[in-house]
Amino acid sequence: MREAFVETLLEEAKKNKNIILITGDLGFGVLDKFQRELPNQFINCGVNEQAMMGMAAGIASTGKRVFVYSIGNFPTLRCLEQIRNDVCLMNNSVVVVSVGAGYAYGPQGYTHHALEDIAVMRALPNLEIVIPGDPIEASSVTSFLCNSHAPSYLRLGKSKENSINRSAVALAPGNYNEILRGERGTILFVGSVGTIAIEAAQILSNEGISVSVTSAPFLSFPDREYLERAAKTGPIVTVEEHSIRGGFGSSILEFCSQNFIQAEVIIVSTNQKNLSQIGDQDFLRKENGLSAHRIVEEFKSLLGDSN
Amino acid sequence: MIRRPSRFTSASELALAARREIIKMTASARASHVGSALSVVDILSVLYSKGANITPENFESVDRDIVILSKGHAASALYSVLALQGFFPMDWLQKYCQNDAPLGGHATSKGVPGVELSTGSLGHGLPYGLGIAMSRKISGVAGRVFVVMSDGECDEGTTWESAMIANHHKLDNLIVIVDRNRIQSLTFTEDTLQLEPFEDKWKAFGWETRVENGHDYETLSRALIESSKPLCVIAETTKGKGVDFMENSVLWHYKSPAEEDVKSAFSQLKASD
Repeated sequence: MREAFVETLLEEAKKNKNIILITGDLGFGVLDKFQRELPNQFINCGVNEQAMMGMAAGIASTGKRVFVYSIGNFPTLRCLEQIRNDVCLMNNSVVVVSVGAGYAYGPQGYTHHALEDIAVMRALPNLEIVIPGDPIEASSVTSFLCNSHAPSYLRLGKSKENSINRSAVALAPGNYNEILRGERGTILFVGSVGTIAIEAAQILSNEGISVSVTSAPFLSFPDREYLERAAKTGPIVTVEEHSIRGGFGSSILEFCSQNFIQAEVIIVSTNQKNLSQIGDQDFLRKENGLSAHRIVEEFKSLLGDSN
Repeated sequence: MIRRPSRFTSASELALAARREIIKMTASARASHVGSALSVVDILSVLYSKGANITPENFESVDRDIVILSKGHAASALYSVLALQGFFPMDWLQKYCQNDAPLGGHATSKGVPGVELSTGSLGHGLPYGLGIAMSRKISGVAGRVFVVMSDGECDEGTTWESAMIANHHKLDNLIVIVDRNRIQSLTFTEDTLQLEPFEDKWKAFGWETRVENGHDYETLSRALIESSKPLCVIAETTKGKGVDFMENSVLWHYKSPAEEDVKSAFSQLKASD
């Protein structure tokens, strides 16, 4: 996903010299091409996320669109107040870009696991959260963000994710992206866990239960019509590589509750049992309750209730 | 009576008028930080009278000088100077901190002409100003960026992160003015977290430094002339300056002036001629 992001950003930045990319000294081998081709639009700020984010806001205040790139919690939690005051309050055109969502940097340990960022960013006013499901969506939302002025948070996976979309998609706030169409319910996801959602749908399909699998890349803008329809169709299982507290699933529950959408929703997320556990992304996902089988179980439990 | 011109060109006259407004505002709003405001008001008066190219007419032009008050708790000083220079109506000052008023206790930017950044959490003004200075270098836009900080604020790590970045990128359009009154929230700076050797720290980070009397309009003005490096002006000041019972006292970081304090302060804040 990060490659798709950088490629698209480079293309957009060639057309628009007001696009600036700042990195907090991360992105070895990923940002080189951008730096080489557009040195005047690239700043490696060093290892100083707080000053970097305040600086990004200052640059944005002069009419530029500033992307701030770093890993996991560094461009979010480390400089939270700079995002809150200098970006959100001042309504500056900054895109906070975090790579390595969830357990993408699994073996590096908990310091590198991004499992609370959605909740924290979601609590901020005036900040639009964008989480693409695969490289194709990453490219689409990056183009969108290059042409927007809103303070935004872009949560990316890492690299070499499988694409779940077959071809390029035009994504827009308020519209979900349905990958599979089914009859008995919906698996609604954000991020690279879409592959798990599709695997779960296949297992259910083998048992004669067809479900929709749908990506919700613009988390801050729920697709109301889609949710109303999905709620009538059957259960909704939300899937995210994030803590259950305050994440994507919570946002769906809040939205349904506030809008009187009567939906049966279960959240599949990470349970953070053992913060110190080391392992690769697949391993840690499974260990923390994020698997196709878990989605299947949860879905069937709801289906059982409603029968 | 002090006659009020439509705009002050004399920093000393502007500062005197602003001091009186600060006392009135903090008294009527029962607000804190009067000492901080009296400490920094001469610096702001120099900037807004002649030191910086910023007026009600040009404050939206892209190459204006930028002034950021990073020590947002001294907002009453900034508001007073801006109102006296015609950025917004004087009667806004009387509504300071009131419900739904434009002027909040800490520097509020939204809807307030001349306030570039909402501040109040320390250590935000310098990175932000640094960003504006950097953007101007990238785009070849003229105009300098002045960031006015408190000395206690230099405890914040962003100060030194920014100091490194500014030096690395040779931002000679960035000027920090530190209101060096040597008192912070609970006691003296050197008893809280030692800042000295303060000037040497900035020098070591690659900045040009100038140490001046922060209440002397002439020397302070001269200290703001161009530099070939990022410039730190350490303005030696007295907290509570101009009102004898408020001077050099931690108490007036918090206390708001009572009626008799206002009377006594006003008896001291008079034109010398």
